[in-house]
Amino acid sequence: MEPLVEVEGLTKRFPIHRGLLQRTVGHVHAVEDVTFSIRRGETLGLVGESGCGKSTTARLILKLLEATEGTIRFEGRDITRLSAREMRPLRRELQMVFQDPYSSLNPRQTVGQIVGTPFAIHGIEGSTRSKVQDLMERVGLNPEHYNRYPHEFSGGQRQRIGVARALALSPKLIVCDEPVSALDVSIQAQILNLLLSLQHDFALTYLFISHDLGVVRHVSDRIAVMYLGRIVEIGDAGDVYGVPKHPYTAALLSAVPTGEAGGEMKRERIILSGDVPSPVDPPPGCAFHPRCPKARLVTGSPDEVPENCRTEIPPLRNSGGRQQAACWYPLRPDDELQRVVSHEPRGS
Amino acid sequence: MPDGEVLLDVSGLSVRFPTSDGVVNAVDDLSFQVRRGETFGIVGESGSGKSVTNLALLGLLNRRAANIEGTALFKGRDLLTMPPGELRRIRGKEIAMIFQDPFACLHPMYRVGDQLVEAIRAHERVPRRQAAERAIEVLAAVGIPKPRERFRDYPHQYSGGMRQRAMIAMALLLNPDVLIADEPTTALDVTVQAQILELIDRVKKEFDIAVVLITHDLGVVAEVAQTVMVMYAGRAMEQGPRQQVFGKPLHPYTWGLLESIPHVDQKVSRLVPIEGAPPSLIFVPPGCPFHPRCPHRFGPCDQKRPEFRDRGGGHAEACHLSADEKRTLWAERQERFTRAAV
Ligand SMILES: Nc1ncnc2c1ncn2[C@@H]1O[C@H](COP(=O)(O)OP(=O)(O)O)[C@@H](O)[C@H]1O
Ligand SMILES: Nc1ncnc2c1ncn2[C@@H]1O[C@H](COP(=O)(O)OP(=O)(O)O)[C@@H](O)[C@H]1O
Ligand SMILES: [Mg+2]
Ligand SMILES: [Mg+2]
Repeated sequence: MEPLVEVEGLTKRFPIHRGLLQRTVGHVHAVEDVTFSIRRGETLGLVGESGCGKSTTARLILKLLEATEGTIRFEGRDITRLSAREMRPLRRELQMVFQDPYSSLNPRQTVGQIVGTPFAIHGIEGSTRSKVQDLMERVGLNPEHYNRYPHEFSGGQRQRIGVARALALSPKLIVCDEPVSALDVSIQAQILNLLLSLQHDFALTYLFISHDLGVVRHVSDRIAVMYLGRIVEIGDAGDVYGVPKHPYTAALLSAVPTGEAGGEMKRERIILSGDVPSPVDPPPGCAFHPRCPKARLVTGSPDEVPENCRTEIPPLRNSGGRQQAACWYPLRPDDELQRVVSHEPRGS
Repeated sequence: MPDGEVLLDVSGLSVRFPTSDGVVNAVDDLSFQVRRGETFGIVGESGSGKSVTNLALLGLLNRRAANIEGTALFKGRDLLTMPPGELRRIRGKEIAMIFQDPFACLHPMYRVGDQLVEAIRAHERVPRRQAAERAIEVLAAVGIPKPRERFRDYPHQYSGGMRQRAMIAMALLLNPDVLIADEPTTALDVTVQAQILELIDRVKKEFDIAVVLITHDLGVVAEVAQTVMVMYAGRAMEQGPRQQVFGKPLHPYTWGLLESIPHVDQKVSRLVPIEGAPPSLIFVPPGCPFHPRCPHRFGPCDQKRPEFRDRGGGHAEACHLSADEKRTLWAERQERFTRAAV
């Protein structure tokens, strides 16, 4: 079956303007040459640290931003250059749930109005009220609270409102951009379970974005890891997390505090040096090479990396596992770095 | 059990804010000790009273707005009743603090180096030059590369992780005994968080101090703390050595927290959320504040406040269930949880 969404070579560069004449003096390389597809009914997780281009990718797919290069296909149809008007019938198929359940809901509208707006915009016939109340019930809100305002709800309930709004017109794809990041853990689990059960009931497809690696693992069938605008690894969730091939994926996973260190910080982990470089002037070759522990193992020197890492951008390709990674020297099963992150299942 | 000298000895700490809506019971009868050489982790969801606890200890709550009870002995002297002048000498010098936002400590308009030098000279009479040398040393100790050059930078010229390091440097300048860190890594990405947690752990050892680490992130406390206190609705639900609290948790709230967190290294088919939402601190439920959300509540839970008791080995908790009942329940829950793992 054809994938629901296919993006190819997707690129977004934001111009940086300076001076009175607003001359363009450079670009933020927010998303660079991103290619992936999302199958019907699956959840593709997108992880990476802040600024790596996750939200920009989401906005490009939803056509809230114009791509600099590349193509976006929805159900086989190229939608990259569709105008706002041409997009309109497609809007009901593509929806979004935002991170902040506080600022993404209009404080002056009642729940009924917020969830009912899509029906009005798309001129849907029939009683909006009963449709909205059904939705409210389905996402775990009391339908009698139809006339309440967002501030009368807790953070978790507000996120349910956001989910109901996205669900209103039975979309095919829902992009969830950090949907639980602002919530406390006990509430977070409620929303994650809700999203999973809705997916099951309505055959939804999700693009699920989060900086929380555990959350992404929990909801995703496949996972893409981004670094400085590019996908560095993509594949089935179990493969990417269980036997990562890209050194960045391995470093990211090993940085997650799990308590295995026993309060002594003794756990082996890959501590990356320095910070993520600026996307205005990303490093040449592999963007991760200035921080890459594997490249240094290859040369055997802490100050040296192989020439191709510095000069050639590695393509995303099969790298010895079932997933794809963009690395000239992908981790091997006997790799020291992989040993650090390969997990025995818990509780056994 | 950590065996360093007791630096902080808090007993019966309560903080109430009278407001026009009613009295906010932000912190209710906390007792704990923090020893030299240990990291004491305070964990709880937002609004559970972690920051208010911290502010009370540092004398940073407005006495007219807050009603504070209990004692908080620092090396034998009560922080809650000492004169403001004495407290000011202790705060920043013997008890240092860092926060989530480095700009709470670093003024954006002044060079990092100048701020460090001023911080030293506010507490000690030393020549500028000497203070500058010490500041550079501490910048190097917290892992700022090229500290002599970065000394002259403004905070905005530092990356997020470096600002956090600079704030830690500021805290360490005057050789404190206690470092209180309130959500120090919450705004950071996970790889930078790992760097900062490792740094805090290293300075704890090198400077031989006690660290009080406040966070909403169970993974973080499980990773770095030796002693843990789990807070809910302003109260301590469970407290004890890390291995006990995470390995043999006793309180249903702790169970709920542990089961609602997705892990990177284990896929479960379904998370087990805690139903409902935390209560208002103005209308705290009677009895055990967790009872409306607790799947194991019974007779006394909505009537009688459970006593916070040591169940052996410094592992204390407040729950009406008997030790036997808990053992069975937790074993059952774990079995269900593991069976859900795929
Ligand atoms: N409208 C914009 N103009 C300029 N730069 C932008 C804009 N939106 C995002 N960026 C930059 O693009 C990069 C990627 O941002 P984003 O997609 O928001 O990352 P993430 O969601 O992974 O945190 C960042 O460096 C960000 O500052
Ligand atoms: N000055 C104040 N006046 C009234 N209520 C306050 C004040 N400061 C904090 N609170 C309340 O005390 C409770 C505990 O807050 P806090 O300690 O900040 O929680 P957290 O565990 O998230 O750090 C919250 O309900 C908060 O709204
Ligand atoms: Mg984002
Ligand atoms: Mg706080």
